[in-house]
Amino acid sequence: MTVAVHGVGTSHFGRQPGRTLTDLAWDAVREALADAGTEDVDAVWVGTVFGAPGVAQRVLHALGITDVPVVTVENACASGTTAFLEAHESVRTGRYRRVLALGLEQMSTAFDGAITPEPTDAEGLSGLAMPALYAMAAHRYLETGAATLEQLAAVSVKNHAVAEHNDRAQYAGRYTVEQVLASRMIADPLTLLQCCPTSDGAAAAVLAPADGSPDEVLVRGLGFRSGSLWDHRSAHVWGYDLVAATAADAFAQAGTGPDDVDVFEVHDAFTVGEVATTEALGIVPPGDGGAAAAAGVTAVGGARPVNPSGGLLSRGHPLGATGLAQVAEVVWQLRGRAGGRQVEGARTGLVETMGGGVSGIDGNGCVVAVLAR
Amino acid sequence: MTAPTTGPGTDPRPQVVGTDDGPAVAGVRCTACGHPSAFPRPRCPACRGPVVPALFGPTGRVWSSTVVRIPVPGRTPPYALAYVDLDDGPRVLAGAEGDAALAMDTPVRLLPADPAGDVRVAVVR
Repeated sequence: MTVAVHGVGTSHFGRQPGRTLTDLAWDAVREALADAGTEDVDAVWVGTVFGAPGVAQRVLHALGITDVPVVTVENACASGTTAFLEAHESVRTGRYRRVLALGLEQMSTAFDGAITPEPTDAEGLSGLAMPALYAMAAHRYLETGAATLEQLAAVSVKNHAVAEHNDRAQYAGRYTVEQVLASRMIADPLTLLQCCPTSDGAAAAVLAPADGSPDEVLVRGLGFRSGSLWDHRSAHVWGYDLVAATAADAFAQAGTGPDDVDVFEVHDAFTVGEVATTEALGIVPPGDGGAAAAAGVTAVGGARPVNPSGGLLSRGHPLGATGLAQVAEVVWQLRGRAGGRQVEGARTGLVETMGGGVSGIDGNGCVVAVLAR
Repeated sequence: MTAPTTGPGTDPRPQVVGTDDGPAVAGVRCTACGHPSAFPRPRCPACRGPVVPALFGPTGRVWSSTVVRIPVPGRTPPYALAYVDLDDGPRVLAGAEGDAALAMDTPVRLLPADPAGDVRVAVVR
């Protein structure tokens, strides 16, 4: 059975401590259900990381969604796309007919700044905040000559600029490479404008069997893995091999490859994340990710557009909501309704989300989804 | 069913011990595939084979490094961190002195066990 996305929706993304998770979820769910032309779903998968126990049912019953199975999944930054993947599988296997996938997170009321490292984790207790993990990937890229500081910064310039066309994004702006590099140092060599912000938001998708309706977007392939051991044998930076392996699964299922994809939404929690991911996904050759960003190859209007939404760097990164916001962006792109950030003629899109926080492995989880009209 | 009893209490970080050859990380090595682990794993995380206690260090090289400049609970920024590949041993996350990231392949040496429980290294001059 081919499964389709029939509706998507999101809240605004940004610091919204004065709004409740129910408010944020309502924005996303109302839009997704209206987009799908339905009021009824047969089950709900919810992705969240820091939500309180029962957060899914607490939010859903307030929206009048009761008396159906509700499952909450936590998979770090890939929680939303994990909910999407499980919603897809439950439709594909015939377990449920119409399923809502919902991602939600309120970070601004939980953290003053970066996510607090997990004290039960070896590297978390050793002071490895997430920016530091990515910073060491960036340092490795610089030291091996695989990218330059200016190329890393170019990712931030690109994603903040395109976000001017996304009124749901937390940040947007016309920065120069020099301004990005001159912003406050977070973890060497990553500066503030190279790090995703603290965000609150929700995003949702309605999935059901494909029925030929004009706005539906088909799910062509999915990949889903947790990381292998990441240790002294690993030549690549953290997460690279996990993304590559997960993408290979998704491409095999879709019967396509990266060259068949017109638009990508990938996990750019930090600039180096987008650089490494464009290489791991096979969008550009290994070592070309930074140069491709600097040359505009991965910009909207370039040959291989990556993160037309502005990415996590600009749209924001409420962990559980991010994956479904990526799905929503690709759906809008494939329908040709992305406004000033539209990738012209996009027929096939890819979503990649990558979550971490457990040391010793290449990532807690990665999901890659290939969507098409 | 018995829980693993090899763990050093509840601290999840690698444990540094003193030896005649200097400080060492007390971990395990697989007797089947030789894989080194910086932790008292109950079996080999690479091949699931049996493991025996093993000591790693004191020397190694920097795989990558950074300086954290944001507040982290219990720590005072800035502080340097490095992934260090111990010679013939595992990769460990270690604290380093100074406020500059260490260059790739910099030779380093484990420092004696830190009262705060971190693995720490110093550059070999």
